[in-house]
Amino acid sequence: MTETAFRRMKDLPSTRLLGTGTPMCAGCGGLLALHEIYDILGEKTVFINAAGCMTLLSVYPFTPFRGSWLYTSMASAPAGAQGVRDALDILLEQKRISADEDLQTVVLTGDGSAYGMGLSATSGAIDRNLDFLYICYDNEGYGNTGQQFSEATPHAAKTSTSSGPRGFPGFKKDLFDIWAANRPAYVATVIGTEPLDLARKIEKAKNMKGPRLIIALAPCPTGWDYDPKETVEIGKLAVKTGVWPLKEYIDGKVVHTKIPRQRKPVEEYLQKQGRFAHLFKPERNEKLLAEIQQRIDVYWEGISNE
Amino acid sequence: MYRIRFHGRGGQGMKTASRILSNAFFLGGYEVQDAPRYGAERRGAPIFAYVRAAKQPINERGIINRPDLVIVADDSLVAIPAAGVLQGIGPQTVLMINSHEAARTWEERLNVPGQVLILPVTEEVEDRAELPFLGTTCAGAAARLIGIIPLEHLQQAIRDELAHLGTEIVEKNLQQAAEAYELAAEYAGKVIEGTEISAQDYAKPEWIDMPFEVASISAPTIHTGLTSELAATGTWRTMRPVIDYQLCNRCWWVCSEFCPDGAITVDDEGYPQIDLDQCKGCMICVAQCPPHAIEAVAESVAQLAEATEATEATEAVGDKS
Repeated sequence: MTETAFRRMKDLPSTRLLGTGTPMCAGCGGLLALHEIYDILGEKTVFINAAGCMTLLSVYPFTPFRGSWLYTSMASAPAGAQGVRDALDILLEQKRISADEDLQTVVLTGDGSAYGMGLSATSGAIDRNLDFLYICYDNEGYGNTGQQFSEATPHAAKTSTSSGPRGFPGFKKDLFDIWAANRPAYVATVIGTEPLDLARKIEKAKNMKGPRLIIALAPCPTGWDYDPKETVEIGKLAVKTGVWPLKEYIDGKVVHTKIPRQRKPVEEYLQKQGRFAHLFKPERNEKLLAEIQQRIDVYWEGISNE
Repeated sequence: MYRIRFHGRGGQGMKTASRILSNAFFLGGYEVQDAPRYGAERRGAPIFAYVRAAKQPINERGIINRPDLVIVADDSLVAIPAAGVLQGIGPQTVLMINSHEAARTWEERLNVPGQVLILPVTEEVEDRAELPFLGTTCAGAAARLIGIIPLEHLQQAIRDELAHLGTEIVEKNLQQAAEAYELAAEYAGKVIEGTEISAQDYAKPEWIDMPFEVASISAPTIHTGLTSELAATGTWRTMRPVIDYQLCNRCWWVCSEFCPDGAITVDDEGYPQIDLDQCKGCMICVAQCPPHAIEAVAESVAQLAEATEATEATEAVGDKS
């Protein structure tokens, strides 16, 4: 393993770079991940933000960022990042800014954009070996417009467009593998409730060149229907039950960074969220619960620290 | 035409209350309009919803400026100018507040021309803002205050609006609404139907003329960061996290790290400090604190304690002089 400045929780930054006063919901798991990521990335960043919950971060005249921010349509944030990167490169080449003034180009989108509308632009940016960092806050649905299902919605979850007794009939798309198949410099999954794992990955990504892509699972009290104080508990359960594997793709290999020693039953995670309540009430849907559990078990078969 | 505004926080059911009430009007042969007003969906932020109902076609549009009835689900909103609770209250307006405090107190405090009533409840609870089925309770009270809505129409409207939540929840809401309807009996018909407002009498708002400036002055650019900190999201909170520093282990990497808003800073000695102007009240810090040193206190209780403390401090100073 490479050297890290983050060996223990105590090593995490104690100053907060992202401003308070944002319009994100109380208990937002996406904002949690973003503030942790921003603390590691630092101020020398420019955010290219596709339409979604987080475009509300910078609504004129307010911004929680310390630097620039650009708003793009849902499908074109990586294309916007290309323009920003090119502009910075020209400024550098013409010596109109010094190397010290260069900025990290950071794409910020939700899952609606990352898993769906923006996938083509992302693929193109990776093909062009664009030097950028992509952060997807994945709350498993179109949260900003009332939680319609997206390609990131898990099987059986209730959303405003999948409200039947079996919930969402589709399956969560494996964006990690899709991105990794494009062979970028770096891909990782993170979650704000595992700040040490997150810090190490962002630290690593920050010091690399080329396309680097991060998916942060973002527990969402509004869209997942739970009390906002449960955000951290639910995020931790997503990792402990194996629902959200923490891993990275680097040098052509996938490495799991945190393997739950004894995976908790997935229903501990599901039970805490209103979007899965129909699996337990009025009676338990044993078949569907077993199906969900089995899919997780199959994923983890044969995965070890090697 | 009846003009009614419901004020609450996102998640308290004021949008539902307005839909139920307008549906109940509709069942009685009224033309109706109802609409919620909020920004992006977020729980805790001040929102309102409004209803118009008339026997004739409704030509008015937009926000209600001269309400006949204003219902406030959460009394902490009354003092927030941005929530607009008191906007347009005239002598004919009935203002019903969900509060522990007496109508008289509110009348003196607000000094508004309308009549102030308190939402009647069967049993007093610690935090009124957390009353269960608050939406249907407010809709039930509103229906009775208006006086011309029969209970059957209210109940039918609830069945229509909440059918997707299942019979068990519908039944509980029906019961709650009927109770609120019954409790408000003494105020039946207090709300008087407002008169038509003619477009010819429309008073233009007092605009302030802004001369065009050159783009370098008028174009919206921000050359400074962190301006969001000027927006005080502390007003969203109904519960307040309070740290007992005797119990605090100074493991700031838990509470400060896990605060989604970055509203918990760390002082030089490693103690966490909660920025109450910004804390949205998610209570993650309360849930995660390893030694359980952070307690959730109802905002109304915390504010009262602060006020008492301030008064005592002033009196103590007075004693010395």
